[in-house]
Amino acid sequence: MVKVVAKNLSKVFKKGKVIALDNINITINNGERFGILGPSGAGKTTLMRSIAGLDVPSSGELYFDDKLVAGNGKLFVPPEDRRIGMVFQTWALYPNLTAFENIAFPLTNMKMSKEEIRKKVEEVAKILDISHVLSHYPRELSGGQQQRVSLARALVKQPSLLLLDEPFSNLDARMRDSARALVREVQNELGITLIIVSHDPADIFAIAERVGVLVKGKFAQIGNPDEIYNDPVSVEVASLIGEINELEGKLSNEGVIVSSFKFPPDTYRKDNPASEKIMIGVRPENVKLSKEVINDDSWIFVGKGKIKVVGYQGGLFRITVSPPDSEEEIVTYTDHRTNIGEEILVYVKKHSVMVFNQ
Amino acid sequence: MRPVIKASLHYLALAVVSVLWLIPVYAMVINGFKSDLEVSSTPVLVPPTQFSIGAYVSVFGSLAKPLLNSLIIVIPTSFIAAFLGAMGAYFFYTLSYSYSRFSSTLSDVLFSLIALATFIPYQATLIPLTRLIVDMGLLDTYAGIIFAMLIFYIPTGALLMSMFISVLPRSLVEAAKIDGTGDLKIFLKIVFPLSMPGFISTLIFIIIQSWNNFFIPLVLVTTPEMKLISVAVEAYTGGYGTLYNDTFAAAMLASIIPLAIFIFLGRYFIRGLIALGGGGKGV
Ligand SMILES: Nc1ncnc2c1ncn2[C@@H]1O[C@H](COP(=O)(O)OP(=O)(O)OP(=O)(O)O)[C@@H](O)[C@H]1O
Ligand SMILES: [Mg+2]
Repeated sequence: MVKVVAKNLSKVFKKGKVIALDNINITINNGERFGILGPSGAGKTTLMRSIAGLDVPSSGELYFDDKLVAGNGKLFVPPEDRRIGMVFQTWALYPNLTAFENIAFPLTNMKMSKEEIRKKVEEVAKILDISHVLSHYPRELSGGQQQRVSLARALVKQPSLLLLDEPFSNLDARMRDSARALVREVQNELGITLIIVSHDPADIFAIAERVGVLVKGKFAQIGNPDEIYNDPVSVEVASLIGEINELEGKLSNEGVIVSSFKFPPDTYRKDNPASEKIMIGVRPENVKLSKEVINDDSWIFVGKGKIKVVGYQGGLFRITVSPPDSEEEIVTYTDHRTNIGEEILVYVKKHSVMVFNQ
Repeated sequence: MRPVIKASLHYLALAVVSVLWLIPVYAMVINGFKSDLEVSSTPVLVPPTQFSIGAYVSVFGSLAKPLLNSLIIVIPTSFIAAFLGAMGAYFFYTLSYSYSRFSSTLSDVLFSLIALATFIPYQATLIPLTRLIVDMGLLDTYAGIIFAMLIFYIPTGALLMSMFISVLPRSLVEAAKIDGTGDLKIFLKIVFPLSMPGFISTLIFIIIQSWNNFFIPLVLVTTPEMKLISVAVEAYTGGYGTLYNDTFAAAMLASIIPLAIFIFLGRYFIRGLIALGGGGKGV
């Protein structure tokens, strides 16, 4: 229900020695679900804190709709007046209050009857599956329960902007799914603007319509998740949004050579390699291993590999293969078992290899 | 060094210190129970042959009112000073985390001033203080003494409490702000309950300090009816014809309350100090 606009937003710490945010320009639309990905220390939390009003940008402006909320090192609207729900990376539950009181806390600041507060808290607790621990103190809750209490506290007051800083990092896979679904549901129902920071691309794909990849205080790329997954601007961006095989190769007229593997031009996704040294990226799902020759135009043979590692993960075998006598590695997933040391034919999907000039 | 030897030396040192510390207390207790004759004829550290409570009886009559007066003064003084001190400390905490450089500088300056205020000797301020109290028409009243004590002990409270409050995780205050909470409510519902161990330590410290405070009641009390215990006890020392058993009995009576507080609340005092070292997690 609010549009967040950052104009040349910068934040420095320690008198300029640490540049956490470097000239950020972004518009997050009313009702949008925006994701932020980035390596540790990229400035994700700092950006969230600036939007929340807990940090004041060193320069640049921040608008909520058309209202200037912070600019040029000054705070115009304090956090308590920004109508924000926030889940802190550290949760920040009040240790002296029970889970119930924690969730009810923002409501006690509004004009609301005790009965109404109870109803609302119980409602959100039920969805998040924490009804049975409402009388517990935070130290008596598991990590995942604390996280859900924190999420409940942010959601219960129906904010116009919801900020989630790694909100699901402590949940198990099943809880994670329902928490994601809950966040989407609430967002959908209330039409609130949502910003989520996560290390886990799955969170971003499940929740965000648009994602910004923050690297060293700057947005390296902004776009919808599929776009960034398929057309990342750099290997680093590519690896942040999903698993990828990074290989360093040399350009020749027959394609990119990586040890004894050769990636011919019809494997390139789109960019034409220009420099002599090339970095290529291949998603695991675009690699196929086979004992027999594949007669299918959409799979292109790159070379013979040797299986180095076999793992089992999520119902699939995770295979690492290398060109013989080489340290380069390619990872892929298959549903049938293969043996370490076996020789195997390696194929990649046509037009699937990302080429990055160096 | 072998652990056993190390531990033994450790305990030996603790024992020596404890004995040294306990000797005056021991002397105070046993001499109060001696008779008039025995107290002047036996060495100080020898226990009485016959327990006599004569000294206590004779002293209690004249110390009962001062004891009551002291309670009336010390209880409100210590609670108000510790609580307002805690509020002040939270104020400084918010100022120092403030975004504007001006308020964090202001916080530093004000805080240094307060720290300075706690180091000023009472004696140096006696004349202006007396004048102030006289002008307010509060000379020789409970309110006047409490007011004067608060002037000295609120800064002490703020100084001590700011040590306890500054170790609270900042994200709690931030979360409360985002929840739309005003500063007073943040203080009452979050900061104050979480710094309770520190508050109790501060409270005990101020109780003992104000109980033993001598100069303020000495100058602000003009009638015997209003005398506080610290001044009343002084009548039993020095001067002519001191009766030692009375002196010891009076000292014993005067220190019973601080002693009791320390014995019963001492572990909270320690817990508060531990909470400081443990990053404020001693809840
Ligand atoms: N209060 C501060 N004082 C000094 N430097 C800070 C402060 N807060 C953050 N930084 C620095 O700013 C940079 C960005 O920090 P930030 O917490 O925003 O990273 P992040 O992207 O959230 O990382 P993570 O994924 O590990 O949470 C880091 O280099 C950090 O050391
Ligand atoms: Mg972070």
